[in-house]
Amino acid sequence: METGFGLLSLTIFLPLIGILMLLVWPDDDRRMLRNIALGTTLATFAVSLLVFSRFDGGTYHFQMVELVKWAPALGINYKIGVDGVSIWLLLLTTLLSVLAVWFSTYVEKRVKAYMAFMLLLETTMLGVFVSLDLVLFYAFFEASLIPMFFLINIWGGERRRYAAIKFFLYTFAGSIFMLIGIVVLSQIYKSQFGVPSFDIVQIQSAIANGTFWTGFVHFQAWIFWAFAIAFMVKCPMFPFHTWLPDAHVEAPTAGSVILAGVLLKMGTYGFLRFCLPFFPDVIQQQVPIIITLAVIGIIYGAVVAAVQPDVKKLVAYSSVAHMGFVMIGIFSLSHTGIMGGAMQQLNHGISTGALFLMIGLLYERRHTRMFADFGGLKAQMPIYAAIFLIVMLSSVGLPTTNGFIGEFLAMLGLFQAAAAGAFGLNLGLSIIAGFGVVLAAVYLLIMFMKVFYGPNTNPENQRLKDLKPWEIALCGVFVIFIFWGGLFPNTFLKPMEKSLNATRMMALNAPGQRPSWGDAALDIDERGNLVRNDAGGAVIVSPPNFHFENLSPFKSAEALQTRK
Amino acid sequence: MEVGTLIWLVLFLPVLGFLVQAFFGGRVVRSQGVAGKKLMGTLAVLPIAISFVLGCIITAQLAQQPADARFSIHTLFSWIDILSLSIPFEVRVDPLSMTMVLIITGIGSLIHVYATGYMAEEKDYSRFFTYLNLFIAFMLILVLGNNLLLLFIGWEGVGLCSYLLIGFWYKDLANSRAANKAFIVNRIGDWGLTLGMFIIVALIASNIGKLGLDNVRFLSYDVILSAPVIEIFKANPGWTTAAALLLFVGAMGKSAQFPLYLWLPDAMAGPTPVSALIHAATMVTAGVVLLNRMNILFQLSPVASAVVCGVGAFTALFAALIAFGQTDIKKVLAYSTVSQLGFMFIACGAGAYWAGMFHVTTHAFFKALLFLGSGAVIHAMAHDQDMRNYGNLRKYLKITSATMIIGWLAIAGVSVWTFFGFAGFYSKEAILGAAFANEFASIGGINIGFYSACVGMFVALLTSFYMSRMTFMTFFGQEERWRLIPAGAHHDAQGHDDHSHDHGHTHAHHEAHDHGPDTHGFFYTDEELAAQHVGHDHDDHHHALDAEHEPHEVPPSMWVPLVVLAALSVAGGFLLYTNHMFEHWLYPGGQLAILGEIKAYPEWKTLLVALSTGAALGGIVLGWFFYGKKLPEREGWDLRRWSPFRRAAGQQFGYDKAMVDMSVEGGNQLATFSWKFLDSKGIDAIVNGVAGLAGQIGKLFGWAQTGFVRGYALLMLLGGVGLIGYLALVLFQSNGGPK
Repeated sequence: METGFGLLSLTIFLPLIGILMLLVWPDDDRRMLRNIALGTTLATFAVSLLVFSRFDGGTYHFQMVELVKWAPALGINYKIGVDGVSIWLLLLTTLLSVLAVWFSTYVEKRVKAYMAFMLLLETTMLGVFVSLDLVLFYAFFEASLIPMFFLINIWGGERRRYAAIKFFLYTFAGSIFMLIGIVVLSQIYKSQFGVPSFDIVQIQSAIANGTFWTGFVHFQAWIFWAFAIAFMVKCPMFPFHTWLPDAHVEAPTAGSVILAGVLLKMGTYGFLRFCLPFFPDVIQQQVPIIITLAVIGIIYGAVVAAVQPDVKKLVAYSSVAHMGFVMIGIFSLSHTGIMGGAMQQLNHGISTGALFLMIGLLYERRHTRMFADFGGLKAQMPIYAAIFLIVMLSSVGLPTTNGFIGEFLAMLGLFQAAAAGAFGLNLGLSIIAGFGVVLAAVYLLIMFMKVFYGPNTNPENQRLKDLKPWEIALCGVFVIFIFWGGLFPNTFLKPMEKSLNATRMMALNAPGQRPSWGDAALDIDERGNLVRNDAGGAVIVSPPNFHFENLSPFKSAEALQTRK
Repeated sequence: MEVGTLIWLVLFLPVLGFLVQAFFGGRVVRSQGVAGKKLMGTLAVLPIAISFVLGCIITAQLAQQPADARFSIHTLFSWIDILSLSIPFEVRVDPLSMTMVLIITGIGSLIHVYATGYMAEEKDYSRFFTYLNLFIAFMLILVLGNNLLLLFIGWEGVGLCSYLLIGFWYKDLANSRAANKAFIVNRIGDWGLTLGMFIIVALIASNIGKLGLDNVRFLSYDVILSAPVIEIFKANPGWTTAAALLLFVGAMGKSAQFPLYLWLPDAMAGPTPVSALIHAATMVTAGVVLLNRMNILFQLSPVASAVVCGVGAFTALFAALIAFGQTDIKKVLAYSTVSQLGFMFIACGAGAYWAGMFHVTTHAFFKALLFLGSGAVIHAMAHDQDMRNYGNLRKYLKITSATMIIGWLAIAGVSVWTFFGFAGFYSKEAILGAAFANEFASIGGINIGFYSACVGMFVALLTSFYMSRMTFMTFFGQEERWRLIPAGAHHDAQGHDDHSHDHGHTHAHHEAHDHGPDTHGFFYTDEELAAQHVGHDHDDHHHALDAEHEPHEVPPSMWVPLVVLAALSVAGGFLLYTNHMFEHWLYPGGQLAILGEIKAYPEWKTLLVALSTGAALGGIVLGWFFYGKKLPEREGWDLRRWSPFRRAAGQQFGYDKAMVDMSVEGGNQLATFSWKFLDSKGIDAIVNGVAGLAGQIGKLFGWAQTGFVRGYALLMLLGGVGLIGYLALVLFQSNGGPK
């Protein structure tokens, strides 16, 4: 294990260096302030690409791990690393930060502070995805609220104060429960092993071999929900979603892009990172509850989105629905579903981020987002309309766009689990979730029609020029990823597969057969089996119920033979 | 060249055409004007035409193979590849896919040629061909893909193109609504199709060990339709029926069967070439292609087969009745398409899958012809689509009327006994014969197939009748009714295939802006706006139908495709039917019959031929009797004088209105309730209440003034710490404290 600071730390803290440069630069040189911020995010993106190039998708273990002692007596350390679950979120964050800062050329008010908060936000978000220490994770998780709070509160719309406070309190209240959970976990560790530890790797290793929860099994469900509440608020899942529409509507465009693109993913990431691996004895009982809430969210978010008078609010509610697909995928606890859910996280970041950006471009011109003010823009701004169409279709989940892959795999995973009756799931949930795809078409097509079709009667709109070249380039980046994800999803799926497979086995396998982050000799082979490398690749266990063979209600051909 | 190379060319040429149109079309047309349109039109037709030629070469090679070697699979790259599911991007070259390739690219090229003429005055010329080329590409993926997910790419892709083309003239919101309706109703079908796919994956995947499968390509046809997997289906009859029915729900959406047919009549809002290509000849037959592909699954389930038959028969009858109440020439053809699609499903349900495809083929000939012909009429009649304003047009439109009369005889199924018939005769005969003769489409011992055939025979008479109505009202009689239109009757009716000539920005008001100076250059200046007006003023040469109107025959680019399609409508059925050519081509070894042999005819074949010949001629005689001379008083411009039946038929017997009201208004109310009441007054109020309570407690302690956030945060932190302390206490007590 590496110790000291390395490439990952550079990725996280590079934006802070940018902040230092911003602070010494004169306030009135807005152009240069913007360039510094953009340059910093670009450099961070470049470093994150370097991280990716060193990343090895052939193992489920954490890589590029860095450890610096912080408060060893309390079991708190600076420990970071990436695996297949976090690597794409890392890249998504650095990419969206570049695009959000690039768009922020349009910000005129207090540019220095704005850019500083954007960069601070980037550091905290990156920190969340690479932390391997619970306290560090919690610190970054909470710290990300602060820059976002100020971004909404200072650069937001009319009701920005209300929205900012609501956003802050809501998510803060949720994470308090997680803090309790974290402390309890460390205390359990202390009572089992004599020293407290907040080390994710150590705790999971103890869970994997069954020593951690011995004598504390009755705590598991409580701590699971302590974590789950925090992540459910963040996702957000029904009924904890009401902060989202307000926050999105009031946030400045770049804030919305980051909020939808990255901050919501902290919730689903949390589920993947903690809720699945840490609570193997109780997780299966919680599945129906989470899936039911997710399915309600899919339908409810879509229904409410359909009648919004404000474009941005519509997209905000659509996020509730789309994140529901992530959750049904992850909590189907099937390989297909988890892969789909993880993929859908990235897709949602791209497509919804792009939608908010597109709306922002229009808002900068017209200072309104109300449907009533638009109509017939297609003839006026054909390039804008064409790009918006592509982004909208990706959100609809049209095959060949990225949105389809995640949704399809997530729904298929849930269907397979539900058809097999696994985890007490009902097939009806899967069927209703499928209807969410129909509803997605309803509200998104209505949105597109109201903005782009019909006669262009508003005189203000008749003077609008089409997008500028740099704006087309900005949107073009999203379009590239939309088709890349849709046509070549393997690029994204392959690096995640081993880690996600391991995560699933951590949740479902018996003690001693669970993959362990701490045991470097364990790994996953090409067929998905857990193997022991120091024993010549001996298979310890195959993935459980990979195709739900054992639970299957389906009769095999032999059954037919015997019946005859 | 190898088939493996050629087939990718067939697939990617339309994609290339699409990219060329999308990126260069607009610019070329804007800068070069008419010459630019000529160039882009040629570049739109060429890829499809070359694809057709290549398709012919592949088909010829395929036909030379021995019967059992007539299929090959070519993989390009791995699309989705995870441990539990693998979906390669693979195409399948076999008789079924190549038949569809030839129809799509063949009829497609003709319609592209026609469209270069029809759309010549259109400002968004290249946008039209962008969508049209993309449509061909998606349609080819649909039929060529070797797995259900590639079919699904095509399935939703053609739906997208259909959406874009229905809403092509988007300045009229009615067109956009029709487009939305098409997409959304199709998505309901896709919901079923997706669930059907899920069942298939779950069934095969959970038996993977017993099957000894060495791959996870669960959705590939060669896996689904392999002998061991068929055994699995046999062992799970309930799931098989569910899967078949769900796939059929998808087919009902795309192929416009009751109750999901709703979108197709509205889809006539698109330009007429689109109606011909997408909403008659190719896309709407995708459901029949799917059923042919998966025919084993349906054969395994008599219930599913019976449902397919029954839905097909009901749709055929329902749509035929509605057609009698239509005055818009394109709407008549639209309902006729719905009705004919019903026939195709009767064939599939009855087990004669080849007959379904045969009707797809002949229908593609004559329905494309009829739609293109109607487009020519509309073109000649100043974009008026109301048949009440036509009459005696054979005098003015010689070629159009001659070809459309052939199309009419073909759809009516006219024949000289069995010696020779128009295209529709053979396919309809094959469908009804098989439906009468076979018995396994039954539920609880009731032979739905037989009753469907009885309905089908009656609908054949109706078809001939309402098509005669259309033909006589349009081309025959002495009245030239556009000269007689009473005041106030004009523009009362349904859609108009109305070109949108760009009026530029003539409505722009030159008002001062209240947003201050335009520092970012977001807006056109007054000078720029003025310059734009100059460039667009000449576009406005649209005129309405009036008494002095003289219809003129359409240009060759439009009538040449009509003549080709007319030739196919005359001879196509005869050539393909002789010596069972089409049947043996499509299913070389004979269709794999799960439940016994599929009979082609009942024992009373002679009576059947007599009946169907009689139906075709009877309909024409009836048509002549009612509409041969002039427009009946009771079907004139004054709707109040219509018979109640015809008025009801004109409004789809209230079905469309009921469904739309329920979903749009009902949905709107539900959504508004959810938002205003549940979300704002319910969930959010609880949250705000809790926050407010916390604030009150804060005030109680007197430190709330220090600022909301700090106050709340402190409160929560205190609460959290308290809870942590409590929990820690419990924890240590239960374990005897720290060691």
